[in-house]
Amino acid sequence: MEQLDQWKEQLLHWRTLAEDQLRQVPPVQLYAAAAVLIFTTLLLLSLRLLKRAKSNTIVLTGLSGAGKTVLFYQLRDGSIHGGTVTSMEPNDEIFVLHSETTEKRKTKPVHVVDVPGHSRLRPKLDEYLPQAAGIVFVVDALDFLPNCRSASEYLYDILTKGSVVKKKIPLLILCNKTDKVTAHTKEFIRRQMEKEIDKLRASRSAVSAADITNEFSLGVPGEPFSFTQCYNKVTTADASGLTGEISQLEQFIREYVKP
Amino acid sequence: MLEQLLIFTRGGLILWTCRELGNALRGSPIDTLIRSCLLEERSGAASYNYDAPGASYSLKWTFHNDLGLVFVAVYQRILHLLYVDDLLAAVKREFSKIYDEKRTEYPDFDEVFRQLKAEAEARAEDLKKANPVGRSIAGGVGNGNSKKQGSGNKAGSEGGGKKKSGGGDGDGDGDRKKGGRLENGHSNDNFVVGKETNLKGSSVNGKENESSNLGAFDVNRLQKLRSKGGNGKKGGDGAVAAKGPSKAEPPKKAVKKNRVWDESTPETKLDFTDHGADDGGERNVDFLAKEQGESMMDKDEVVSSDSEAEEEEDDDDAGKNSKPDAKKKGWFSSMFQSIAGKANLEKSDLEPALKALKDRLMTKNVAEEIAEKLCESVAASLEGKKLASFTRISSTVHAAMEEALVRILTPRRSIDILRDVHVAKEQRKPYVVVFVGVNGVGKSTNLAKVKENNLFPFNLFKILYVGVMMAACDTFRSGAVEQLRTHARRLQIPIFEKGYEKDPAVVAKEAIQEASRNGSDVVLVDTAGRMQDNEPLMRALSKLIYLNNPDLVLFVGEALVGNDAVDQLSKFNQKLADLSTSSAPRLIDGILLTKFDTIDDKVGAALSMVYISGAPVMFVGCGQSYTDLKKLNVKSIVKTLLK
Ligand SMILES: Nc1nc2c(ncn2[C@@H]2O[C@H](COP(=O)(O)OP(=O)(O)OP(=O)(O)O)[C@@H](O)[C@H]2O)c(=O)[nH]1
Ligand SMILES: [Mg+2]
Repeated sequence: MEQLDQWKEQLLHWRTLAEDQLRQVPPVQLYAAAAVLIFTTLLLLSLRLLKRAKSNTIVLTGLSGAGKTVLFYQLRDGSIHGGTVTSMEPNDEIFVLHSETTEKRKTKPVHVVDVPGHSRLRPKLDEYLPQAAGIVFVVDALDFLPNCRSASEYLYDILTKGSVVKKKIPLLILCNKTDKVTAHTKEFIRRQMEKEIDKLRASRSAVSAADITNEFSLGVPGEPFSFTQCYNKVTTADASGLTGEISQLEQFIREYVKP
Repeated sequence: MLEQLLIFTRGGLILWTCRELGNALRGSPIDTLIRSCLLEERSGAASYNYDAPGASYSLKWTFHNDLGLVFVAVYQRILHLLYVDDLLAAVKREFSKIYDEKRTEYPDFDEVFRQLKAEAEARAEDLKKANPVGRSIAGGVGNGNSKKQGSGNKAGSEGGGKKKSGGGDGDGDGDRKKGGRLENGHSNDNFVVGKETNLKGSSVNGKENESSNLGAFDVNRLQKLRSKGGNGKKGGDGAVAAKGPSKAEPPKKAVKKNRVWDESTPETKLDFTDHGADDGGERNVDFLAKEQGESMMDKDEVVSSDSEAEEEEDDDDAGKNSKPDAKKKGWFSSMFQSIAGKANLEKSDLEPALKALKDRLMTKNVAEEIAEKLCESVAASLEGKKLASFTRISSTVHAAMEEALVRILTPRRSIDILRDVHVAKEQRKPYVVVFVGVNGVGKSTNLAKVKENNLFPFNLFKILYVGVMMAACDTFRSGAVEQLRTHARRLQIPIFEKGYEKDPAVVAKEAIQEASRNGSDVVLVDTAGRMQDNEPLMRALSKLIYLNNPDLVLFVGEALVGNDAVDQLSKFNQKLADLSTSSAPRLIDGILLTKFDTIDDKVGAALSMVYISGAPVMFVGCGQSYTDLKKLNVKSIVKTLLK
């Protein structure tokens, strides 16, 4: 308490000092200063608001081993450096796409987030989805069939999330590893995933009464599921993170994060 | 031989691998390590074993929390490499010096590594020479303490001495190197070194400051000790104040100090018999680590908690010194800290907040052991990190704990049981669920209720109109079959029974055959409740599971249990693993918690059980009727736990 009192005294003292100082300054200058102050705060505030309205965040998701981290570094540096291992934390950075660094005109940097696919880390995704301008769901086209079910389940969960549905965040199903000849085509992958989600829909809706995690139901009841029925736009594309063949991914990014 | 050493970011980018070693690893040991150990809140273990066709590796690792780096060494398990911990620590120390966030390639580290490896190998060689019994130690635990003590001691000081002459940096450097050497060993020596620097006080401080933002573990300890020294100084007495109490400490510590730093002092050697016992044990543990990674876990924890206790003790000593000081600083400094952001979080900063969290978890019925481990793992993940501006330590700790809880409770794999049923159906196989559990409280008085709880999922399947069949495999307790029959009649579900004479494993087998004949989609196998310590019954269960290879082994437990939950579930899993005749035993896949409605906010059992078994809570029973079965909502559980 004593300390507080001491401080109070000190403050009062300073205040009187400050008031003295102020009286010596001509009023015109004071007004000008105040005006400048108000103007800058307003400017900063409006900038903030504008920024929030136009998100530049692209979220990379998909099962573990799909190639998200490889794609992240291809986007950033155009190289995969020494290779990758399973991620334990998201990679979250704002950068100018590597392919655009050579261009003369100035381009807007993109905020790219690579969320690990390990199921224990999936709750992390919820942190990034609300601010996402676009979602890239990376699928391993090489090793697709054994993982089809779990990939579809993950995709189902994303497509039924409230934050995605309400904001109609566009989603790209990116079939990665197409450098190998045995990779499945994007049409095949799309069809298989639609089939799988259709079955999921049946089993999920049966328990939905008790289950709160899926906020929205998917598709049109009574019709076989197709991605065209989604609230948000779902497209497919090819890529190869290993060889750096990622033009379709960059195209998607530039569609939703204007340069 | 060392197979490979990798340095990568937590984000998953490999920064450096040893090209010289170059030989490609078989399988993917690193990914497996990360997925099934490091991301499962089990990074406290000493090593991890990985088997691939044609190779069996052991992996060791260490983290740098502040920089977000992971260092992993891979070596052939049959070779008990003694220098791996040593090498990892050295690599961590040297690499963090040159690490830069912007850089992604470090070809210049090749040369440094070659040198570090040579040094580490030489040290290990010395150790072997000085300690020829080194190998046999692993065989006999706890024999010949004094001998080992002597030789270990020699080797230790030799290593230290060597460093001194080679480093050229003088004393401080030597100390640091030694600290690093033992860093991962979890042994007391670590602390001995720490104390030594403490005693030296200010003289060491200057030199060590340059290394202040290196390694997360040991350096933090050193840092802490250093800050204690600093406090002492501020107190006015200078370094003497810091020295005072430690000198006056009971002889125990003095002895330990001597053990490392003096080659052989007769009087202290006599004392080894007193305190050597635990030290020797730890040394054993250290060697054993190379032998049997898994079983290390427990021992390791014992050891680390041991040393923690000591550390606390140490804290108290220093606390006496700095108390008047600390009080004066009061909340002003803490306010200032929270605004300016603090340099690096130290364990002592985290302790009060963690203690509070632990208590809170325990009031929510989380088993003490689990709460303790969680706090340790959270502390390990925060130690050495920088505190952001405008945040308090308690909120940082809170956030980290929340994240850890969400991670633990989020199921590793999908728990969409109905989808699994459909898959089995497509393959024209019945989906087999085995219910296991203890006959715990209330069983004798209120059997029917427990049984009723066991039956919850029936209704779920009925909604889906899949054919369900029950198998009465509780051939142990009289009345069990009749009871199941009553339930079956009420639910209008066919039941398969063979009386009490038969082996339950055989009954289950026949039931499954019958199910595939008559086209049932799901077989629910009811087994006798058994105590986890009942060997014959557990053996029977293990046989049942092995013989029938069910799709799901569901453990039914009460949400009411506290510390008991851990014991039940871990013993069940342990027994299933031990008694199994196959090499890859089936363990518990999921948990069904009953009486969830009766526990209010004491939801801790869910956390305890999930942590200890790694299996998800698939359902919670929220009432007496057949329909009251729900899924666990992770977010709300976490919220309740931390409320
Ligand atoms: N052939 C081929 N392999 C690829 C391609 N992209 C990635 N890979 C390989 O796939 C493996 C996994 O890639 P990561 O980028 O680490 O996978 P991730 O999606 O980040 O996985 P998590 O971090 O666990 O979620 C690596 O071994 C890559 O070499 C590709 O286009 N073609
Ligand atoms: Mg990754």
